[in-house]
Amino acid sequence: METHIEFTTVPIVVPSAPARTAETGAQVEFHGIVRSLEQDRTITGLLYEAHVPMAERHIRRILDQIYATWPCHAVIFIHRLGWVPVGEASLYIRVHARHREPAFRFSMDLIDLLKKDVPIWKRPDPPPQPPVL
Amino acid sequence: MKILAFAAARDRAGFSEMDVPVDPSETPRAILRRIAPQVAVENLRAAVDCEYWDWDTAVGAASELAIIPPVSGG
Repeated sequence: METHIEFTTVPIVVPSAPARTAETGAQVEFHGIVRSLEQDRTITGLLYEAHVPMAERHIRRILDQIYATWPCHAVIFIHRLGWVPVGEASLYIRVHARHREPAFRFSMDLIDLLKKDVPIWKRPDPPPQPPVL
Repeated sequence: MKILAFAAARDRAGFSEMDVPVDPSETPRAILRRIAPQVAVENLRAAVDCEYWDWDTAVGAASELAIIPPVSGG
């Protein structure tokens, strides 16, 4: 399984060259988008932070764990950090697999486990303001 | 030992990173009680050298303790 794990503080750029193989019959993409309502409160964005080394380690472990049940060919995981305005993606996942079921299941399980154990946090704070001169 | 506190745990502890002398026999619970007694560990997890850790297991020769509030990635 080829894997790509990335954290970025700038808008997510979807990788243009899919790491497909000749055996890839399904490619599932997920974009997690920041919505304007968070716990019934109107927001302008979310501020993300992570314990990056620990998050990377746990995501790799999760990928291996899911692979045991739903083998796939390649996974791309990109998570935004810092301020993410409403309408922009905070998370991008792409899974390549032989068939649609492992591709969909892999994606779903990855997101479920991400929200359970991976040290990433969000809060609806306003973005940092530049100092007044 | 480097002590890290994230998100809500940082708000409660009043620091994001701190270097603290630690005895290998100390537990995460004892260390936190010593440096930030106002922080209750309920709803928090400890992580030692990037692995989740029991609050009452000695940290040994580890170099980092992270205080992990409930996660919310995605």
